[in-house]
Amino acid sequence: MSKTILIVDDEPHIRLLLEQTLEDLEDEGVEILTASNGEDALEIIKTQKPDLVFLDVMMPKMNGFEVCKTVKNDLVMPDIYIIMLTAKGQEFDKQKGNEVGADLYMTKPFDPDEVMEKSIKILGFSTSN
Amino acid sequence: MIQISLKKLLLKKEFSVILSNINQALGAPISIQDRGGNLLWGEVSNSEFNKYPVTVEKEIIGWVVGDEKASTIAQLLSYLANEELQKKILARETLDKYKEINLLYNISEKFTACLVLKEVAKLAIEEATKIIKSTSASAMLLSEKTGNLEIIAACGKEYHHKTILLPGEGIAGNIFLTGIAEIVNDVESDPRFVRGANQVKSLICAPLKTQDAVLGILTISNEELVNYTAHDLKLFTAVASQAASAIENALLHENKLKEERIKSNLERYIPAQVVQAILHSKGYISLAPANKNISILFSDIRNFTTKCEELAPEAIVEYLNEYLTNMVEVIFEQGGTVNKFVGDMIVAMFGAPSTLVDNERRAIETAIRMQNRIKNISVPWIRKNFITGIGLSSGEVVVGNIGSPQHMDYTAIGDKVNIASRLQSIAKGEQILITQSIYEATENLFEFKEFGTIQLKGKKEAIKVFEVVY
Repeated sequence: MSKTILIVDDEPHIRLLLEQTLEDLEDEGVEILTASNGEDALEIIKTQKPDLVFLDVMMPKMNGFEVCKTVKNDLVMPDIYIIMLTAKGQEFDKQKGNEVGADLYMTKPFDPDEVMEKSIKILGFSTSN
Repeated sequence: MIQISLKKLLLKKEFSVILSNINQALGAPISIQDRGGNLLWGEVSNSEFNKYPVTVEKEIIGWVVGDEKASTIAQLLSYLANEELQKKILARETLDKYKEINLLYNISEKFTACLVLKEVAKLAIEEATKIIKSTSASAMLLSEKTGNLEIIAACGKEYHHKTILLPGEGIAGNIFLTGIAEIVNDVESDPRFVRGANQVKSLICAPLKTQDAVLGILTISNEELVNYTAHDLKLFTAVASQAASAIENALLHENKLKEERIKSNLERYIPAQVVQAILHSKGYISLAPANKNISILFSDIRNFTTKCEELAPEAIVEYLNEYLTNMVEVIFEQGGTVNKFVGDMIVAMFGAPSTLVDNERRAIETAIRMQNRIKNISVPWIRKNFITGIGLSSGEVVVGNIGSPQHMDYTAIGDKVNIASRLQSIAKGEQILITQSIYEATENLFEFKEFGTIQLKGKKEAIKVFEVVY
């Protein structure tokens, strides 16, 4: 089964950077999708059922917490691994993250090596790939 | 080199739809193959059809198979593949920049948390090698002791940790002197190059520069010829300058610790305020031997050896320590310096290393207080048995650090020292004997009585001696 990663961020450069960071995974048959807001993200999650979602917390209209909560609770898709992205210096509300069922959080600027490492692990590829 | 995969391009859903539409509009079946001829899109082609190449930067990445109309599709695909390539190049560059920002961000954060010199240096070269293509890196610092540049951290297989350079020697040594970072892409043709054990073809070298000094150099190198760019240099210089301030910090911290150590050691010999004076004097107080006007005090326990016979050695040491602790406290209170202990004998100075104008008064004050203090020590045996005689003299002596480089004593040498010693030896228990010079300086401050004259070895004239009445 091919794997799918969804990148959700309203900032185009973060989407581009994450996409570029994870580019090598495409050779393993991983499909990388992007969305620029929470609503589009939910649409994609419903239809494509990604394995891993990078989800920005601070987004206009529908923020990351709401998206996460909808996915985990309302859509009952607890298996989708959700990594919340939060800006450095801006205190991440860990409790809220737990409440909505986020699996992990990372701070921006993110470390590309760490992103790749985590993705490989979560998608279940062996590191030799 | 960035590769564009035709397969990935065709996987894009929007594109796949457009392609179907075009295919229908053209009314002629086409198929798309990768470079090796494997089918990627469309129906298996008829061998009668033509093959039109899809190219990226003149390199064939696949084929469009069909009639002549297929060539238009091939052109379209080539155009899109080139667009994709440009996009990827930009994306990769952006990611590289992002990594650089991350590096500088992280490095300053890590540096702030690090006060150990070697760790700071190691961190700097490790972070630099993460982002700049290299096979080895090193950090050298100028050693104040030897005047050489010495490696304090290195990574990579070629570095010999014992490498030592003189400032001005080799490329790194030269850059240390100029203080200007440089790229040397062909090391072997550089006239400054000194062949060493290290295999180095290309390098970047940046000084570890603080506001007022070059502390050392940071070098990153490659065993193969590589083309380091101005951008690499800029980045490396940024790392070096952050490292320099972190190293400066670590050095300051080390010095602070050293000072603390010296201070706590010094304070065993001289009073805390004198230590402070020395440490903060900026060179006004020298420990080098020089002529100085001081007062000298000798104090000794009468019949110490006989008295000790009745005690176990452990008890003697314990009592002696108790006694000396009390005596040193009194000496320090008066600003004196303990020169040495010889068994139960105490030699102290007033007026060195820092000058005391009233050193004679302080010497007498100390002697009297020493005598009184013994009477107040809590151990009865000490009060009963430690009866001391004290001798004081004053005048010009040579005082300073005297000895061999391995062992130095801060001590005084001269006639006046010998006189004080002599007076002490003739003083009876509880007696304080002083020279005329001390008497004249403190005549109105204390009560004295004449003791008589004594003859010193090698001196023609006898000297006048006074006894302090207290």
